[in-house]
Amino acid sequence: MTRSHTHAAGRRTGASSRHGGRSAAPVPLQIPARRGPGGRRLLGVLLLVGLLASVLPWWLGTPAGSLRSTAATVTAAGRISGLIAGYLLLVQVLMMSRLPVLERWIGGEQVARWHRDVGATLLVAVLAHLSLILVGYADLRNQSILAEVGTLLGDYEDMVSAFVATGIMMLVGFSSIRGIRRALPYELWHLLHLSSYLILLLGFGHQFTHGAQLYKPGPVRTGWIALYLLVVAALLWGRVLAPLAFNLRYRLQVADVVAESPDTISIYLTGERLGRLTMLGGQYFRWRFLARGCWWQSHPFSVSAAGNGRWLRLTVKVVGAHTADLRDLEPGTRVWAAGPSGTFTAAHRVRERALLIAGGSGITPIRAMLEELPPGAALIYRARTPADVLLSRELDWLAQERDTSVWYVIGSRDDPGPRQLMSPDGLRQLVPDVARRDVYLCGPPGLVDQSVRALRRAGVPRRQIHLATFEL
Amino acid sequence: MRRALLAITGLAASTTALVVFKGSPGATQVAQNLPSAQPVNPTPQDVDPSADPPVEPVAGAPTPSVAPGTPSSPKPSKITARPAGTRTTTKAPSAPRTTTKAPQPTNRRVTGPGVDNEYGYVQVQIVVSGNRIVDAVALSLPSGGESDIHSDDVSGRYDGTGGEVVQKQSANVNTVSGATETSNSYKQSLRGAIEQAF
Repeated sequence: MTRSHTHAAGRRTGASSRHGGRSAAPVPLQIPARRGPGGRRLLGVLLLVGLLASVLPWWLGTPAGSLRSTAATVTAAGRISGLIAGYLLLVQVLMMSRLPVLERWIGGEQVARWHRDVGATLLVAVLAHLSLILVGYADLRNQSILAEVGTLLGDYEDMVSAFVATGIMMLVGFSSIRGIRRALPYELWHLLHLSSYLILLLGFGHQFTHGAQLYKPGPVRTGWIALYLLVVAALLWGRVLAPLAFNLRYRLQVADVVAESPDTISIYLTGERLGRLTMLGGQYFRWRFLARGCWWQSHPFSVSAAGNGRWLRLTVKVVGAHTADLRDLEPGTRVWAAGPSGTFTAAHRVRERALLIAGGSGITPIRAMLEELPPGAALIYRARTPADVLLSRELDWLAQERDTSVWYVIGSRDDPGPRQLMSPDGLRQLVPDVARRDVYLCGPPGLVDQSVRALRRAGVPRRQIHLATFEL
Repeated sequence: MRRALLAITGLAASTTALVVFKGSPGATQVAQNLPSAQPVNPTPQDVDPSADPPVEPVAGAPTPSVAPGTPSSPKPSKITARPAGTRTTTKAPSAPRTTTKAPQPTNRRVTGPGVDNEYGYVQVQIVVSGNRIVDAVALSLPSGGESDIHSDDVSGRYDGTGGEVVQKQSANVNTVSGATETSNSYKQSLRGAIEQAF
């Protein structure tokens, strides 16, 4: 595991290495076809139509002018928010089903962002539903709200489980507020989040026993149940069947672990039929290494070389207990992978040329993407010290081959050089046509935030800025 | 997060809009219904002056005279309906029915036909004095789940000596929001009872 070995493993070296480093014949430039926003828009429209359709039964079932009393109005609003909440819950679970179609149309990072936004909306909708119905019913029955809670819990079927579901949902929601989430251990947060499947189960009953629109058998009730079945099928497909098929097909295993720098390792994987694995540079998988102490954790890491049909490589910075364990992986260890996901790829470009900005170990997806970007790209690589620069020889080869300019910007964030460069003027001086380029950003949050601000001021439209963030 | 805030605001606004849309035509409908309700009232008074004396005690008179059955009947249906939402309330009508023949001849009790709908069984009984409806009681209404509330709502609006049926003196009463089916069945049974009575 020497340094030279590491570099020999690069793809276009001309030298041979253990894992498929055949002498590199000039490989024709392969630039993936663009994936436009069509799929995302279509899905957005579909989801909006679904939202309208879920409120439609209420609209049709309520005669105009029938909401005369305050109680009736409040109850009606509660009913609408209930229908919205029921629908959003299904959307929310669908977003997390990891259905390949969703990954393809929206992409992992976007799905996660949608999930967060829909989640916040869902929580508010459920709380609105609960409080409006409580106030409305209490008014209808002329009793206090507390007494109404008692009546609902005591006399209504499925209502206890609905209240429990609301409690879980509040817990999940509040534990996902960024500040609180950071304070919690990941495992606890994850466990809480897993319990949201219970919400689906516990919240199911009361919609059909008491939902004014779902109470009676008919097309509405059937459709609602069908939606539930569809979402459960999507979950089963995306979470169980698709990964199972993927892993049985490609049978990934660790080939070697090599050191890239004192605190960074690359893990090489081999498998079967990798030539048929469609993957874009910059995408990530969720990896589960089936070794002692590691198998129960699954973490997303970018692949740090574009698909080549022979091996996969992920480059990981050792920051925690799990990544430290990865250093000791034995060749032959089986790997369970789920993916590929992500829209941080050359296929999602909107302009002809690109500017790539990497910070520290954020170079990994960008390194993979460089192989697939059209010629003429520019790369700014920020690192604190020269030792933090990873894969530099590969970058140089790629730069030469793909007509890419590379700037290494070394130093602390507060040093005058980097500060001057990462300003709107500095960026414009370095890349005069920056406003007409796609900008791909991957690195520590501080660098990303600072760069986005500078880029926006330099006139780069938001849709041209691509971020690789797993974290929300 | 900005999108979530947008979504929440948008949904809240559209929910309000929906409710307002459904509610606002109500104002005009009420206005249309009210004048049509008023001419109904004078007619029995004009046509049948002999019925005038009972009109005054209408508010109080039938209640004590029919005391054993009438006032208590809507309450048991509410009470039995609440626990666990069972559908046993259909037994409630048996009590008032036995009292039908007992009271004074001035007040006639007429029971309408039973009407089945998706939620349950509806049957209405009216008390007629001369040419005038002085009381209306739902002997049976759907129960269980939300139906309890709707049934309470329906009987609260239509039943009783001061209810809408007595006010309007006809089956042409306003539909109760959220309880359209039950309201319609109520009206159907009521119509049957009125046909039998007059």
